[in-house]
Amino acid sequence: MVSVLLIVHALVAVALLGAITHQTLSTWAAASTRPGSFFGRFRTVPSAAFANAVIVLYAVTAILGAIVYLYFRVDVRPALEQASRWVALGVFDLKEHFIAIGLALLPAYFVCWRHPRDEALRRTRTALTSMLAFIVWWGFLVGHVMNDIRGLGE
Amino acid sequence: MFPSAFRRFAFAFGAVFAVLYVLAVAKKLSLFTVYPSLGLVVWGARYSRDVVDPALGFLAPAMYWYGWTATAALGALVVGLLAAVIPERWTRRIPLGWLPWVVPTLAMLGCVYLTLPWFSLKP
Repeated sequence: MVSVLLIVHALVAVALLGAITHQTLSTWAAASTRPGSFFGRFRTVPSAAFANAVIVLYAVTAILGAIVYLYFRVDVRPALEQASRWVALGVFDLKEHFIAIGLALLPAYFVCWRHPRDEALRRTRTALTSMLAFIVWWGFLVGHVMNDIRGLGE
Repeated sequence: MFPSAFRRFAFAFGAVFAVLYVLAVAKKLSLFTVYPSLGLVVWGARYSRDVVDPALGFLAPAMYWYGWTATAALGALVVGLLAAVIPERWTRRIPLGWLPWVVPTLAMLGCVYLTLPWFSLKP
């Protein structure tokens, strides 16, 4: 059961990673980018279209992660403590902290992308999107590495 | 009126949550404690060593992350709602745009600081 949850958690995270990365790159891409280039095609996709998907995917990923975290605490963390994998435990703790802070940023992120042409919110929109991208990438990479060190269901 | 009030709520919620979360982690202010191996949830921050011999603490590992998140969310909800109902003219001259990203960025750095002890442990 927990393996299924973990796989679904990872799959939703992959979708989230794609959406937030696409949105962040299109937000940062310069307006002078050549239209036919790789980043030029990025810019032609309306970034705001990703916002609702990012919010839903982030929330679903966080909820699934919160469920899997219960099994991690009982089945995985004690083994990592016995093996003195302190750095791995530290970066995983950071992942949990960052995910919680990112979750609370979703309402502000929603407000910013609700009016994508509002110039007054441009800096806030770019910063929030970049922060969420950093959090999602951190969570994804750390989760992946932790699963490599010792996965659930072993 | 609604969009402006919701904007104030959203910006205040994100910033206040981040601050309260770091405080909750630093001061161990967990609204509740989860014992996953026992299937128990109890109010407040409880420690296994308080109820069993410290050597047996591993039998009932406690989780505080859910409680920290709930503590911060509750506080942020109250402040966010207050921010939403105050008259707009009170906040018109305050540049609120930096609030939802500068404060959480500092809070994330605070989390890094609080996590540093893990990295100083010898393997």
